[in-house]
Amino acid sequence: MARTPSELLQGTVDILILRALAWEPMHGYAISRWLDARSAGVLSVDGAALYQALHRLEERRLVSASWGTSENNRKAKYYTLTAAGRAGLRTESAVWKTYAEAVSKVLKPA
Amino acid sequence: MPTPTRSFRFPWRSRADIARDVDAELGFHLDMRVRELIAQGHDAGAARRMAREEFGDLEGTRAYCRAADARSDRAVRAADRLTEWRQDARYAWRTMRRTPTFAAVSLLTLALAIGANTAIFSVVRAVLLRPLPYADPGRLVAAMESWPGNPGNSTPMSPPNYVDYRAQQRTLSDLGAYTTAIGPVVWRPDNADPTTLTGIAADGHLFHVLGVRPQLGRTFDTTGDTAGDSSSVVLSYRFWQRALGGDPRVVGRRLVLDGRSLDVIGVMPRTFVLDHDEDIWLPLDLRDDLARPAITRKQHWIDAIGRLRPGVTVEAARADLGVVAHRLATQYPDADGGRTAIVTPLHQLAAGDLRTPLVLLQAAAVMVLLIACANLMNLTLSRTIGRRQELALRAALGAGRGRLVRQLLTESVLMALAGGALGVALAMAGTRALLRVDPAALPPLFPVGVDAQVLAFSLAVSMAAGALFGVLPALHAVRTGVHDVLKEGGRGSSAPRSGATLRRALVATQVALAVMLLVGAGLLIRSFTELTRVRLGFDPDHVVTAQLRVTGPRYDSIPIINAFYDAVLGEVAHAPGVIAAGAATLLPMQGTISTSLRIEGQPADESHLPDMTYVAIRGRYFEAMRIPLIAGRRFDATDTPDGPKRVLVNETAARRFFRNGDAVGKRIRIGPNPNGEWMTVVGVVGDVRDAGLDLPPTPTLFVDHAQEAWQHTLSMVLRTSDSRAAIDALRRGVKAVDPATPLRSIQSMDAVVGSSLDARRFALGLAASFAGLALVLATLGIYGVLAYEVSTRTREFGVRLALGASPGSMLALVARRGLAWSLVGLAFGIGGAVTGARLLAGTLYGVGPLDPGTYTLVAAGSLAVVAAACIVPARRATRVDPLTSIRSE
Repeated sequence: MARTPSELLQGTVDILILRALAWEPMHGYAISRWLDARSAGVLSVDGAALYQALHRLEERRLVSASWGTSENNRKAKYYTLTAAGRAGLRTESAVWKTYAEAVSKVLKPA
Repeated sequence: MPTPTRSFRFPWRSRADIARDVDAELGFHLDMRVRELIAQGHDAGAARRMAREEFGDLEGTRAYCRAADARSDRAVRAADRLTEWRQDARYAWRTMRRTPTFAAVSLLTLALAIGANTAIFSVVRAVLLRPLPYADPGRLVAAMESWPGNPGNSTPMSPPNYVDYRAQQRTLSDLGAYTTAIGPVVWRPDNADPTTLTGIAADGHLFHVLGVRPQLGRTFDTTGDTAGDSSSVVLSYRFWQRALGGDPRVVGRRLVLDGRSLDVIGVMPRTFVLDHDEDIWLPLDLRDDLARPAITRKQHWIDAIGRLRPGVTVEAARADLGVVAHRLATQYPDADGGRTAIVTPLHQLAAGDLRTPLVLLQAAAVMVLLIACANLMNLTLSRTIGRRQELALRAALGAGRGRLVRQLLTESVLMALAGGALGVALAMAGTRALLRVDPAALPPLFPVGVDAQVLAFSLAVSMAAGALFGVLPALHAVRTGVHDVLKEGGRGSSAPRSGATLRRALVATQVALAVMLLVGAGLLIRSFTELTRVRLGFDPDHVVTAQLRVTGPRYDSIPIINAFYDAVLGEVAHAPGVIAAGAATLLPMQGTISTSLRIEGQPADESHLPDMTYVAIRGRYFEAMRIPLIAGRRFDATDTPDGPKRVLVNETAARRFFRNGDAVGKRIRIGPNPNGEWMTVVGVVGDVRDAGLDLPPTPTLFVDHAQEAWQHTLSMVLRTSDSRAAIDALRRGVKAVDPATPLRSIQSMDAVVGSSLDARRFALGLAASFAGLALVLATLGIYGVLAYEVSTRTREFGVRLALGASPGSMLALVARRGLAWSLVGLAFGIGGAVTGARLLAGTLYGVGPLDPGTYTLVAAGSLAVVAAACIVPARRATRVDPLTSIRSE
């Protein structure tokens, strides 16, 4: 778990996206809306970080992309979790849970 | 939410495609956000601004996404290729298994052709391409002198000249000397029988020039020609391991060599070799020679190697040593007049005689491979035409042309690789078997074998061959339209026409190449038979020879040496079965030693004295060799060691140097000293092929070894009815006289003569088998093409026969076609051979490169074979049953 902060942040965005796609295939904008809604605005990810993460995940074959038609009838790029992505989500979630518990344990007032 | 169309995958995208996709995706995001903001009550301009601001670094993201997409596309593409290739390979494997005969024939053809190329290349690499085992070998040059007035003939240097060259040259960082002419060295270990070692005498400069560090200790020093190293010895790795058990403290030990105790000062690494397989290196001691330069300046036996200074070319060194040569010629006109220096890159010299035959053999092997490729191209072409239905079906199901070509090429390249693997195995086994049968077939300085470089060569050759015979049929197969083929239904009635021209051109090419190889091999065979028919001038049958050398301080005077050899010959002469026993310093075919000649009563041009081969003989040498006496007498009991000097000459010398060939009774002087002792010619003997089978006899002088016994090594020559008993008798005789003196090089005279033909026999065997292979392949090719044509035209033949064509006319119809193209090939082949045979001119003996007999024989022979290959399928055409053939479709 030795990670630099920026890797940690990237990792955070990655795992949030994977989690979003575990629900159903989505385009980028829908993912950002989903994240806003699920975290009540706390975990809002800006567009730059979101799309860089999406393309990174696609390169790592954790998600796959295809063009489809959006709800308002526009061409949009949809992302789907691959089998590798699903596995990645499981292990990363476990890591994250341990990490978050450790941090909150430390931060808890004595 | 609508489900996106999953089945669609991105096709391979260009850079522009990727850029457009990324822009569209990001644009969609921004638009959606703007729309939402407007819905929340912002005006359009503000909404756009806010959306951009929220997004963050738009440009950076765009670049990041494009790069990531390009990378993942590339990965996908590579993976696709691999999958496709796997499919193709699996498909090729299944196709091969479906047609086992085709596969077997192709594999065998390829294995033979690629095997031949691999085997020859492994020799070419070792001999011509591999660096010599010295430091920076490309900078090493051999320095020699020319014969007087004949700059084309090289000879080793004389000792005083060598020292002068070394001192006066400006272009070499150093010049070193060695000689192999020291004969065997006898080693007496403390508690074992004496053995003979091969040794080379070298000076410290030589080791310095070659730049190889000893594995242990040091080499001779370069402080002077009379250095303090005269009682030291350097060992070869092999000798050190084999005879001394690799003793790590060997430096400082003493060995008794030729009766002298020498200090071991160093051991050279395993790879280091000067001549071949020498055991030891002794210091080259020139002190005695330099003390008598008037005599020794004419004695040429120093092999010199120099290292070019940085930046100096071979030409510059040649010019520089030429200046020294000129100076020496002016200074010593008697010894060096008309001589010049010859500077040759060392590797060129080491490869020597082998370069031309090897290049020719490699060319022959490549021609065999081309013929094999032509054959396979034909086979593949016929097969792909037979598979047009299948290919058309695949094309109809969406396989692109490129894809189909790739698939067909995969099949041929895989076939070629499999054949290549078999070929390499064949080459390895073949080379090993050859070296076991005849270890002397290849020069030992060059380690021949299959290594990574040879394997890379075979791999490249296999791939190239596969591509060569695969690409045309593959292109041809996909060129024909899908619809036409499918419409044809299974009938394939137009199939035989397609590719017919290509196939026939291939037949012509094969015949042409085969004819060229046959002519080459034929000329070599003719030369070889000419050589074996050469009149040797002596009778090698029932003659055994062995070398005997007296060494050590005991043999320090001529009477003692004479007593030794007289005793040995006396013992042997009376042994059962021995008819005549004698000895000579050099046997025919074992090289020559020359001396200059002055004849009484004939004016001598001191700068251009004639040369004669010099041989010292003992006992009944002429009788043992059955060399006839032409005039005068042989040596006899009236010739005593201390009496007046008597000599014999051979016919060539008598003819060349004496009026009317009348030599008996004339007096001559030999050697450099113009006031030397007169010698009387008492007899003339018959000529002998002494310098080599393909060279005329040299003028030769025979002296009585009893009068010139300073030469310590003699080859004993025994004519006997029982060679084993004779050798045993010789052994017993030597043991009785001096048990410490060993016998070596025991062999029959037939073997001595035969070994001069070995190199030729080796090259000839290869050339002949290549030519034979070429003919077989070409014949198979012609047969295959005609048989295929007949099989695809049965219907037409049936119709013809039904309409009343006679079997004879059918035979002519088919055979004519095959013969016509073979004749074209034959014409081109003869033309090519006429051009190519000139390359052989230097290798031929007793037969010209345009020898009409050989050409006629090859033409007639290949025509006969080709005709036979045509007749068989043609007869099948006449046996077609009209009814069945017409009904069958």
